[in-house]
Amino acid sequence: MAAHQVRRSGLTMPVVTRRFVEHAWRRGCDFINLDLEDSVPQHLKANARSLIKAAIPIVRKGGAEAFTRINHDYVHADLEAIVWPGLSKVNYPKAESADEIRLLDAVITRLERERGIRPGTIEIGANIETASGVAAAYDIASASPRVREFGGGSGYDMSRDLGVEMFVGFEQFAYGKGELELVARALGLQVRAAPFVANTTGSVSDADRAFREAQAARTCGFRLGGGLNPAVVEPQNRGFTPTAGDVEDAQWVLERYRELTGTPDTWKVIDGRVIDRYEAARARDTLEWAALCAERDREKAEAVLRTRAAMAEPASPASA
Amino acid sequence: MAILVRRSNLFVPITDSERVKRAWQSDADAVTLDLEDGVVEPRKAEARGLVREGIAMAARGGAEVFVRVNAPLLHADLDASVWPGLRGIVLPRVESAADVTEATNQMTALERLRGLGVGTLELIVLLESARAVWDIRSIVTASPRITQVGLDESDLAGDLGITPVPEHDPYVYARGRLVVEATSARVQPIGITYPLGVHPRRLPPADIHRVATDARNLGMKGVVCPDPSWVAPVNDAFTPSADLVAHNKRVREVFAGALAAGTAAVPLNGRMIDVPVDEWAKVVLAMAEACEARDAQKRAARAGP
Repeated sequence: MAAHQVRRSGLTMPVVTRRFVEHAWRRGCDFINLDLEDSVPQHLKANARSLIKAAIPIVRKGGAEAFTRINHDYVHADLEAIVWPGLSKVNYPKAESADEIRLLDAVITRLERERGIRPGTIEIGANIETASGVAAAYDIASASPRVREFGGGSGYDMSRDLGVEMFVGFEQFAYGKGELELVARALGLQVRAAPFVANTTGSVSDADRAFREAQAARTCGFRLGGGLNPAVVEPQNRGFTPTAGDVEDAQWVLERYRELTGTPDTWKVIDGRVIDRYEAARARDTLEWAALCAERDREKAEAVLRTRAAMAEPASPASA
Repeated sequence: MAILVRRSNLFVPITDSERVKRAWQSDADAVTLDLEDGVVEPRKAEARGLVREGIAMAARGGAEVFVRVNAPLLHADLDASVWPGLRGIVLPRVESAADVTEATNQMTALERLRGLGVGTLELIVLLESARAVWDIRSIVTASPRITQVGLDESDLAGDLGITPVPEHDPYVYARGRLVVEATSARVQPIGITYPLGVHPRRLPPADIHRVATDARNLGMKGVVCPDPSWVAPVNDAFTPSADLVAHNKRVREVFAGALAAGTAAVPLNGRMIDVPVDEWAKVVLAMAEACEARDAQKRAARAGP
């Protein structure tokens, strides 16, 4: 688990909207996804590409990882423009075949070499947004070691492909989500999934719901978030991070489990709760995740401090 | 690409002459003359003799006419069914691509023999076993004649050895697989949500409308109707409502305004409108037009020459 990044919250934003990009570092996100695709008008695609290289360090000023979502149909032009030091991940929309992923891998491998990026640094996010993508999920997810997290299977593109309205109040994508989660688990990838929480408004800025969804997802063992509106960042960070109570509880479980060593028992029941190897493993997992979240929050806080210091007036005599 | 509008498909047993005679008045997009489960065993041969005349009767209201054949009596049933005016065959109990090929080979021969355009007859395939659900990809891609695919949920229950109770839908996986694999193969998935697929019965139109709407929102494109009372609410549920049309026109306007202002992401009533939302709006508006055109065709046919 420790090999995986902490990506509880993130904002996808059109790289052409300057004020979004400039303020991104203040949002507290674990990642920023610079969009070249659906939020960028056709006539601005070339301009958008030219903005990525400079935008990467800008959005990282608050400690967020920088991702770029490219266009399904402009892979070569987009990759040439975006693979620069500081980029962590290329999100590829509407993935439908392993060949597409292998092509991305080959181009990224070349660009990493040419541009002095450690080989294998840049991840590929294979976004599954069509029925054909679900049908080819295993081949897609196993096409490159750069695919390290996998999931999805819902959203506007999927609903259009299936011809369904969204936000109808019942789970419409159970099969596709299930297939993708199984594929991710079978391949040992981080799972991008979430339990169904009824949503009939489709609001992208509902902080309360964002928190409830993140909390429900964490309870089910999922850890990856992301959204479109700054209002959901803090609730997602909070909802995906174990609370002090969760940490205390996990420590209590581990202590009770340790008390079993040297006894003939492998499990016992305390206050109606089973303490066994399985519960102990879950508790360890919670503690590891809490530590990773705390570390990530420290990194971001330090980055924000450095940025604010650099923005301040030239150093005063006292600090010189 | 033209949109196939086949929202309702009314099944009538070919041996029930009253229902066959009245089927054209139902406003169904399609009528299927049933030789299979709706016909008792001793009357199978007699039933075949009724098909040719039944096709003409069922088509009077502008419905597409299909015949559901018996899988074990495939050759005799196809021979009795392929006549001018037939839109296609409903093939039940399909287990494999080979089952499809067996039917299409004979359909091609009969099209030649009876002067129908070769390759014009369509197939609607029904899956009724775990094997078929598992192998759906090879089945739906076995022939370009296949335009729709559905589950026969009561026979599937038999194959799985389960007795479905209304509270627990046993087909979440099967139905999801049907929708995803069919959509991927550009074949329309058809069906209604649980439990009506297993226990079809007459219900108030509002209830039929509700479950048909749920089915549409799972990705289904039409419903097999066991009773004429289902047809109107099913047609309505699969036709974009006036509200939906108005909302999607608004989406298109707002999105066009955003593009002109240099962004393809714009808020509308708390939602984010971007390319896929605009693309979906186009689909809804095209679907509304296609439904209107289909309804006009049927009105003209019912008005008669």
